[in-house]
Amino acid sequence: MSFLKFFKKSIDKKSFEQLLADKEKQDSSEQPQSKETIKRSLHENLKKIREAFGNSSDIVTREIRIGRQGEIRVGIIYTDGLINSEANHNFVMESLMFELRRNEVDLKDLAGLTLLNYIKEMVLTVGSIEDVHDFNVITNAVLSGKVVLLFDGYEQGFAVEMKGGKERGVQETTTETTIRGPREGFTENLRVNTSLIRRKIKDHRLWIESKKVGKVTKTEVSIMYIKGIVREEVVQEVRSRIEQIDIDGILESGYIEELIQDDSYTPFPTIYNTERPDIVAGHLLEGRVAILVDGTPFVLTVPSIFVQFLQSPEDYYQRADISSLIRFLRFFGFFTALLAPSLYVAITTFHQEMLPTQLLISLAAQREGVPFPAFIEAFLMEIMLEILREAGLRMPRAIGQAVSIVGTLVVGTAAVDAGIVSAAMVIVVAFTAISSFMVSSYDLAITVRMLRFVFMGLAASFGLFGIILGLVALVLHLSSLRSFGVPYLSPMAPFTLADQKDVFIRLPRRLLIFRPRVFSSQQNTKREKSLFQNENQRKKK
Amino acid sequence: MNKRLTSLLFILASIMLLAGCWDRRELNDIAIVSALGIDKVDDELLVTIQVINPGQVATVKQGGITKAPVRTFQSKARTLSEAMRKVTTFSPRAVYSSHLRMLIIGEDLAKEGMGEIIDYVVRGKEFRTDFYLSIAKNTRAENILKVLSQLETIPAHKLSSSLKLSEKSWGPIETIEINQFVNELVYKGIEPHVIGVEIIGNPEAGEKIENVEKTKADAYLKFGSVAIMRKDKLVDWLTEKESNGLHYALGKVQRAVINVPCKEKKVAIETIRTNSKIQTKVDGHQFKGTVQLHIDGAVAEVQCERMDLEKIETINLLQKKAEEKVKKDILTAIQASQKKYEVDIFGFGEALHRSHPSIWHKVKKDWHSHFKDIQVHVDVDVKLRRIGTINNSPLHEMKP
Repeated sequence: MSFLKFFKKSIDKKSFEQLLADKEKQDSSEQPQSKETIKRSLHENLKKIREAFGNSSDIVTREIRIGRQGEIRVGIIYTDGLINSEANHNFVMESLMFELRRNEVDLKDLAGLTLLNYIKEMVLTVGSIEDVHDFNVITNAVLSGKVVLLFDGYEQGFAVEMKGGKERGVQETTTETTIRGPREGFTENLRVNTSLIRRKIKDHRLWIESKKVGKVTKTEVSIMYIKGIVREEVVQEVRSRIEQIDIDGILESGYIEELIQDDSYTPFPTIYNTERPDIVAGHLLEGRVAILVDGTPFVLTVPSIFVQFLQSPEDYYQRADISSLIRFLRFFGFFTALLAPSLYVAITTFHQEMLPTQLLISLAAQREGVPFPAFIEAFLMEIMLEILREAGLRMPRAIGQAVSIVGTLVVGTAAVDAGIVSAAMVIVVAFTAISSFMVSSYDLAITVRMLRFVFMGLAASFGLFGIILGLVALVLHLSSLRSFGVPYLSPMAPFTLADQKDVFIRLPRRLLIFRPRVFSSQQNTKREKSLFQNENQRKKK
Repeated sequence: MNKRLTSLLFILASIMLLAGCWDRRELNDIAIVSALGIDKVDDELLVTIQVINPGQVATVKQGGITKAPVRTFQSKARTLSEAMRKVTTFSPRAVYSSHLRMLIIGEDLAKEGMGEIIDYVVRGKEFRTDFYLSIAKNTRAENILKVLSQLETIPAHKLSSSLKLSEKSWGPIETIEINQFVNELVYKGIEPHVIGVEIIGNPEAGEKIENVEKTKADAYLKFGSVAIMRKDKLVDWLTEKESNGLHYALGKVQRAVINVPCKEKKVAIETIRTNSKIQTKVDGHQFKGTVQLHIDGAVAEVQCERMDLEKIETINLLQKKAEEKVKKDILTAIQASQKKYEVDIFGFGEALHRSHPSIWHKVKKDWHSHFKDIQVHVDVDVKLRRIGTINNSPLHEMKP
């Protein structure tokens, strides 16, 4: 009897999802739903569910009979395509329809259990089963890839976890490629994504918290962090910001990013996104929080600082000296992508004395007969480049080559031959474009593309003076930004000497003993054996 | 918030459009001046500017020169500013002098005193004060600027590069930047000297494009002697030997050649580095100048037979002869400046100012009368560091 009591208790205890569903019911003003428990009659229940889904063709509601004489009628409800139908056949239907009959079970005498508990505990050969009593819970369960079982004559049913269906497998990332390093990338499936991270960090302190966000889409959003390394305030902040989201749908992590970022009035990304599990694992180890959103391969990590957008995972996989040099190159690329056209405009229209005479003469010779001022010339070429780039991104892959041929011919050769733009300008624009591809984060590259035009305007009006003014304003703006409490320009401003080992240069791993102080909790900054060492120390005390 | 933002953007846009762009000029709107020549004609300044024709210079590779790579514009006025502005009345482009390489002063103007033109080129914001100053010897500056040059298509660039090059490898030549001239003009106890440039050949032929199509040009420009000045006025031209001595004494010689006699032929010694020190001492009522010169050298060429360079005595002998040779040049130069011109181009006065400022203040008013009576002691120390890639000359081993 005590066993039964315990079981009853566990049924009464509401699951997280139920709680969530309840809360949503209270919150949602659009569809006021009262709690509606299921009826005894299976027929009525099935009818109600069919009505709720408007007889949608992908919702399967099937009635079967189980038991030796088929005395018990069972309803099976699931969404076709969301479940693993093979597993459903093998482990749910077959267990119910054949095992019960084959074993000659006497349904009157079930080892002291009720029928439902008997089925749950001794028949269904599946992993996760939940008890359901409520229609709203049932619809949610059906829509999130569960198989719901209802029994005639009982006011209770089961929701069996049976997620499946066609999904993209783990593939190589196309947006963030490296020469050396793992090839795998995240997929659209949240569970696969968490497993990819779990496979890299095999520690029980890697904690996951999940929440459904979006009143209509009910997208699962998980936050991941390593307890003990992460700063508790940051986790709390992430949690509360996600909780405050009030929106009908989340289709991509970009929605979350926009809704939880610190400052919307900035061109700079304050939340990092990546498709690579190794980056996320690295960030978690530094004490950051990862936000995974179901349905997108892009995982967000917070807090984010400016320099990390110019770093690549490969910096940590190859030798430290090469990484450091390439980091310098990337910083150089960032500045040329941002400033090259504006410097060209400023120097050739305001500060000709800064050029070596021979260069001045050859530039002046190229500009003979060019009809536009240097600024207009640069502006036209940059716009042309942006159009080419955007067009190349959006159009069907098959005609991509055609566009690039037209682009290079028209922009590169014909425009110069026709004397509409100077050859030097084409060189500057091409150099800028290539430099901007070197900025490892796409988000920052877009920012650079945008700001480039601002700087060109400043250069055209005020020359180098304008560029310097723009840079001063830019640095002021950057130092005012924060990402989840961490200053965006750290560890340069505020300056942390200990963190400089991994900013512009990357020191050899032997010297990188400490985690970046800006992210990790202050008591736990040592990388080496940190988790257990600290524990031992505490025990000794 | 929104209203504030829009008004802020509006203000920013107006600042950029209203306050910006006022001093911008496109590359195809400027006339790049490579050389500036100034003469004096009937109490007015005749300004000649040599403007680069970029199209012609940059397309040399494709089809050779068809038109002159430079153009000259001339205008006359009382002041330089006026003259430079007058150029716009017939030049389609704004005169842009930041890339000026050479400033050439006509000999007549230099004799009358070139002080009046210095202020303009030092004061003007467009002038970078790193161009070279030179005086047209026996001609007008305008004629110098008209001569086209070979190898280097822009004549002013030809002048400045050849000047730079020969300063490094030829004793009598030295570059004089406008800054150095102005400093020597202002410093007490030293008088300026300027390098001269002259036309060799027929000046009129030099103006034509055919001049640069021949292997030997009809007219070309050559740097030669040093002009010594009293304040801002040209006094006279030094001979090559005197120029050489002057530059040794001033430590301006980098790599030059000292020809040392051996029997009836010569041994050439190239200098590797030189280091000189000019001092003035006071001995009772007498001033005594000393020139201490240290030269590191190497044997560059041996013409005479039977000279054993492997022996230390030979090296010592060569050193001694070289010392004598240089000393003679320096003394000749000092002699000329003391007795012939009475102009202290070596800066003995400045050296006195440094070592005995109080005495200097007493004598500075009539320094050149003191200067001509100074006894100068010249001390040259030549050290031969290397003898080249062979030891003894083949002539030494030659069959008798």
